[in-house]
Amino acid sequence: MTRFVLLAGGLTTHFAPSSDFPTWAALLACVVCAVSLLALIVEMRVRRSGRALVLVTGVVAVASLLLAVTRPVRIAARESRIGPRVIVLADASRSMDLQSTRGGTRKAARDQAIAALQASTKEARITVLGFGEGTPFPLSEGDAARPRSDLMSALVPVLKGEGETPQAVVVVSDGRLSEPESEKGLHPLIDGLNVPIHTIATAEESLPDATILHVGATGSAVAHVPLPLRVEVLCTGGLSCDKLTVTARELRASGAPTLLASGLADVSQGHGVVDLTITLDSFGPRIVEVALSAPAGDKIPENNRRFFTFNVARERLRVLHVAGRPTADVRALRQWLKSDASIDLVAFFILRTPTDDPRAPNEELALIPFPVDELFEQHLASFDAVILQDFEVAPYGLRPHLPRLANYVKERGGGLIMVGGPASFVSGGYARTPLADVLPVKLDGVPGHTKEDLAKFTPDWTDVGRTAPILAPLRKATNDEFPQVEGVNVVGDLAEHATALLTHPTRLTPSGAKMPVLAVGEVGAGRSIALAIDGAWELEYSPLGSRTQGRGYAALWDGLLGWLMRDPRYEPAQLSLPAGCTVGTKTRLRLKAVSGMKPEGTKLTLKRLDEEAAVIVVPIDQKADLLSGVDIDLPALAEGGYTAKVGFGTGPSTSLDFACEAGGDEWADPRPDVQRLRDIAKETHGDFAFAWDASKLALPSPTVVSAERHVVPVAPAWGWSLLAAAALGAHWFIRRRRGFG
Amino acid sequence: MRRIAAISLAVLVVTLLVLAVPRPARAFGDRGAFDARVLLAGGTTGAARPTAPLRWAHELVMRTSAPARSRPTSVRADDGEIVSGPFLYWSGDVALTPLSSAEVSGLRRFFALGGLLVVDDAGVNFDGEKSEFGKTARAQIARVLPDSAIIQIGPEHVIFKSFYLLHRAEGRVQGPRTLDAIVRGGNVQVIFTNHDLGGALAQGPTGVWEFPVVPGGEAQRDHAVRLAVNIAMYLLCSNYKDDQVHAPFLIRRRSRVRESEP
Repeated sequence: MTRFVLLAGGLTTHFAPSSDFPTWAALLACVVCAVSLLALIVEMRVRRSGRALVLVTGVVAVASLLLAVTRPVRIAARESRIGPRVIVLADASRSMDLQSTRGGTRKAARDQAIAALQASTKEARITVLGFGEGTPFPLSEGDAARPRSDLMSALVPVLKGEGETPQAVVVVSDGRLSEPESEKGLHPLIDGLNVPIHTIATAEESLPDATILHVGATGSAVAHVPLPLRVEVLCTGGLSCDKLTVTARELRASGAPTLLASGLADVSQGHGVVDLTITLDSFGPRIVEVALSAPAGDKIPENNRRFFTFNVARERLRVLHVAGRPTADVRALRQWLKSDASIDLVAFFILRTPTDDPRAPNEELALIPFPVDELFEQHLASFDAVILQDFEVAPYGLRPHLPRLANYVKERGGGLIMVGGPASFVSGGYARTPLADVLPVKLDGVPGHTKEDLAKFTPDWTDVGRTAPILAPLRKATNDEFPQVEGVNVVGDLAEHATALLTHPTRLTPSGAKMPVLAVGEVGAGRSIALAIDGAWELEYSPLGSRTQGRGYAALWDGLLGWLMRDPRYEPAQLSLPAGCTVGTKTRLRLKAVSGMKPEGTKLTLKRLDEEAAVIVVPIDQKADLLSGVDIDLPALAEGGYTAKVGFGTGPSTSLDFACEAGGDEWADPRPDVQRLRDIAKETHGDFAFAWDASKLALPSPTVVSAERHVVPVAPAWGWSLLAAAALGAHWFIRRRRGFG
Repeated sequence: MRRIAAISLAVLVVTLLVLAVPRPARAFGDRGAFDARVLLAGGTTGAARPTAPLRWAHELVMRTSAPARSRPTSVRADDGEIVSGPFLYWSGDVALTPLSSAEVSGLRRFFALGGLLVVDDAGVNFDGEKSEFGKTARAQIARVLPDSAIIQIGPEHVIFKSFYLLHRAEGRVQGPRTLDAIVRGGNVQVIFTNHDLGGALAQGPTGVWEFPVVPGGEAQRDHAVRLAVNIAMYLLCSNYKDDQVHAPFLIRRRSRVRESEP
């Protein structure tokens, strides 16, 4: 019903039918009046004279009758117009940084569209929020772009949260949404709410670009097992592509990346696929770069290569155990290794030296040649760890392979353990060899230097040894005891990045420190352990071993091999990147230390995988509660692979390899998805517009709210009735005088 | 002249004797070397063939890379030191007295750690028939390991290929082709020989074998020494020769030896 609104002294006044008059009755009265007037007009067309006065009185009579029925009242109210609440969700993901074909970025188009929308609807209460990950956030200049564009997570608090439900939602985006996967996914949110979602597209089409659209792996990555990769490439924006070369390379802690596979993708209608098979030899997080050679005219080079972190599992831990002679220590280690079903053990023991006389022809011996060349030339990379136990370099042809073995640790991330004995360390001829460089202890190769100390002793726990998780199982099993052992290989000071866990009670190193008996160290990408005694077996066969049911020996090796293989249980801390790393976005590293690790002296460093130098030290709050976990903001990182390494004073360290991408998921497909925005609008009864037409978007009307209300009848009911009767009487009288029936 | 010759002869004898003494293991690592530790239990006061452990160590060092204690030790079953090494050698030729509870307990602790016991019947007759020692030793071991059955192990077992490829067990007497054993969790815990292995190894200070070996003579003695070496190598290497990497070599050699056999 039409309302007439007047403004008076802050109050608005308008007229309305009597409140006891139902709307349907008012409508019926209007219809009856209209019919009466129509009949009157028809009647006037038939007559030729005296029509004007009859018509006037007829109209007056009908109007009077209508007023008598509706009995109008005057309503004076303090009213306000409340503009519709409109939430504008602005895509804050990285894809908005892509250039638009109309010039400028999609982000700029987004901001212009929002400004136009605000200008076109002054009354609407527009709140602009950004969306990317999780709940929406106030959009402000200088915000780092989000790595995702999750519309669903943004809509949930907007539509289902507490507070006023908006009357409309406007999504300003390029349509490359992480969530929902389809517009149908919005139904659980919008059903029953009657809130339209309008959409504004910030771009129409992509720039000319060749990109790695998707890389899929069949199954999970397992060390030494070929892993098929399916690489999808895309050519958009009219870029001419025919064949694209795609390569897969593994980034390494030092040295150039290793080419794993390459292939040609035939591009048809802008889309191509190539299947590559890669084999990763080392377990744990391995970073693989997949790159394409883009043709000329490619406008977005950032998405020509992607980095993927494969968490390479292992079917079984593959260990090479080489022993120079069989002893009780060799027996104990072999039995422990064989007792673990998760270990694939390859063992070679020297059972006969050149000076031994077995007094039998070779055919009657169960001996095989030690395949030293085959092992260290062909199969070394297939092992996760190598144990050299009491094994002398010279007689068995190991010397030529020491550089390869050192490289296996330093660059391929292999694990190495040297176990003591008369043919180990300096006595075994390892001093001044490449292998000495990857041991956690220095070896003095000066002739005449004492190589062995034959005295009995009980090793001392170092401060780190008492707290490090690596020895936690042993400490628990033996209640911090260690049996007396006989003899030790004399070794030097700790190497760089090495930690002593057990030391000799009396022997000192050249620097005056207690001589390490058990030391662990990080060497490049790998780890190494030096156990300078051959009496660890007495953790099993000794009164202490008997009291502890021999558990100490297994506990020692559980920790040593577990730490060597980066088993999280034996790491001093856990490092993770909850949101990954993308160039231009904030990268946050989460550090959580295990019990016993002290924050004092904690040092976090960052190093690019492909550069020897350029170690970045990241400051850490030394009073932070590392046990509960802290988030550390990393400095801005360029594209590439990195190692984050955290050390606790002189204790063992732990590291995390990760990659920072320039393009990332958000730039993998640079095509705007206009159709998706159209579909979302259609599905939710909203409208769609391009950014440059944003002002044309129709937003809901304001709502009028009355605060103070006075209702006064315009005239008493009897007055309206009298007026109607008089008007009807006058009309009847005139009709009669003019000769109307 | 005669005096010089006598002195020379004496020097030669002394030199030979010195050389005849087992080459000691390098001092560093001696504790982990093979120790043919004599078990004193059930009334035994030493090995039935006292020189056998030393000869065993000597032959092991001469023939293989394995180190051995230059002075094999002995230990009482009720001594706490019984758990200080993974090997025990128990020999005798007369009936044993029942093990005391302390001895049973000591042996159980030894076996719990995975130790290996060789029970060598020195009183076995030429047919390999068990002596009273052999019978009572089995009975006493049954008390120590009540849930374990004695089985026969032959040439397919890793003990028969841990260093030498052996086709049968032999000692001072030829005895049965197989050894009796108690195997738990894939590991041999007790070996019973019905061959008087110690009798074949026993050698006097002058280098003279103490007992004749029948019926095979010196060839059989060498086979007995090989068996002793294999047992020691099994102790120190465990089932190393069962590793897959050795399989093709060993199959080839065994078939070659079989082809050459008459």
